Amino acid sequence: MHIMEGFLPSPWWQIWFIVAIPFLVLGLYQLKKLFAEKRETIPLLAVAGAFVFVLSSLKLPSVNGSCSHPTGTGLSAILFGPFITSILALIVLLYQAIFLAHGGLTTLGANVFSMGISGPIVAYALYVAGKKASLNTFVNVFIAATVADLFTYVVTAGQLALAFPAPAAQGGLLGSFSAFLVIFALTQVPLAIIEGVIIALVFKYIIDVRPDILVKLNVLTQNTVNRIREAAS
Amino acid sequence: MIDEHLLDDLALQNGLLEVDAKLKLAVGIGAILIGVFSPSPVAPLVIAASMAVCTIVFAGIPARVYAALLAIPVTFVSMSIIVILFMTGGGEPLWDVHVLGYTFTLTTDSANLAVLLLSRTLGGMCSLFFIALTTPMVDIFSVMNRLRLPDEFVDLSMLIYRNIFVLIGESIAIHNAQVMRNGYSTFRRSIDAFAMLAGMLFVRAWEKGEEMLVAMDARCYDGKFQMIEEERRISATGIATATGYLCACAGLAVLFRSFRIF
Repeated sequence: MHIMEGFLPSPWWQIWFIVAIPFLVLGLYQLKKLFAEKRETIPLLAVAGAFVFVLSSLKLPSVNGSCSHPTGTGLSAILFGPFITSILALIVLLYQAIFLAHGGLTTLGANVFSMGISGPIVAYALYVAGKKASLNTFVNVFIAATVADLFTYVVTAGQLALAFPAPAAQGGLLGSFSAFLVIFALTQVPLAIIEGVIIALVFKYIIDVRPDILVKLNVLTQNTVNRIREAAS
Repeated sequence: MIDEHLLDDLALQNGLLEVDAKLKLAVGIGAILIGVFSPSPVAPLVIAASMAVCTIVFAGIPARVYAALLAIPVTFVSMSIIVILFMTGGGEPLWDVHVLGYTFTLTTDSANLAVLLLSRTLGGMCSLFFIALTTPMVDIFSVMNRLRLPDEFVDLSMLIYRNIFVLIGESIAIHNAQVMRNGYSTFRRSIDAFAMLAGMLFVRAWEKGEEMLVAMDARCYDGKFQMIEEERRISATGIATATGYLCACAGLAVLFRSFRIF
């Protein structure tokens, strides 16, 4: 869910830029290192970024009539790690603002933080933890993508509540936070579940066709791929 | 399926294409900032109206397309405005609403805040559309280079930009093939079809990336794209008009700083 241009007042839009910058610097540093060590990753990251953009501009099958788009950053976090995903998300969000009029320039900091930083970190952490606990790969991917989406929406609600707190009589900050949570839940909860199912299925299709990509990115080990393919056949 | 217009297509044939990109970016971003800092709804509304006129009349963007674009933020804005109307308070009560035993009160301060936010979003979106519809991405890249953003970032942006169009073509082809085979006839099927589309898109994208790697190696890519930049002279009238416009908007924001509707 993008916060639209002009919606966040000062000083909140500046604050979210400042919060996002350390993560982006870390991402850029990793990117520079990756480019210097393995030059062959440049075009691959480029297509990954384009993939995230196109994925996020496709319309999801919708349940309640609302027009909803996947965020796509959960998948990218599982594949490339959260910090490089934050750079990809920054570029993708900039393109979404300029090509599709989703989001905005002053709210870019807040949107990068919710969609490009906090969601991907949660997705990555859950995926790694699930892998360690040797959870079924598809269940693991589903949980990581769904929770990351939900977390993104909780962060967005938090950002709006901080900027527009309710008076003390109506519960203050918590009051407006829960109000934003409830009203966005209408569209965001079904969206998160659908996106989780879809990302898990995407994994299945990638394993069917090109499992070597996932092995190369250290997302899955060769053993896991063999086991999944045996179970399927 | 890809329901949005890619604004870049329109930007490449707009009437203000020859105006320097730096000037257009300065006007757009300046107007956005004035709107965000304006304490009253007057300046953002004037910005929204002037930007809309400028985009439709001078840049020659069809009014129907422009109206469709303005509908994009509606869902987000309407949901957030409801919360702000009834959760923030202060000032005189205007209206009480009873829902499930709770009483929500609409006050003058919350109504003013809602009007202010609506006008700021409208002004901001119109300024953003001005940038999006008059400045093609290619021009923005050369501005990014001038601003000395990291080369890795600019290169990655350019490669992503190029690949977006390749992948959109692929996804439309896959989607058409799926629709012809009843891929989206029921909800269950459409989930499966969508996932298949996204999965195949990823695999196709990866293969394109591998091919591009070979192509770039063959052309001695060493980590920096060389760009040919078109020098466009910034006209003095352009600078004067832009400065005058931004000063007028800032003046309105200061002049009407204590204006309130309720």
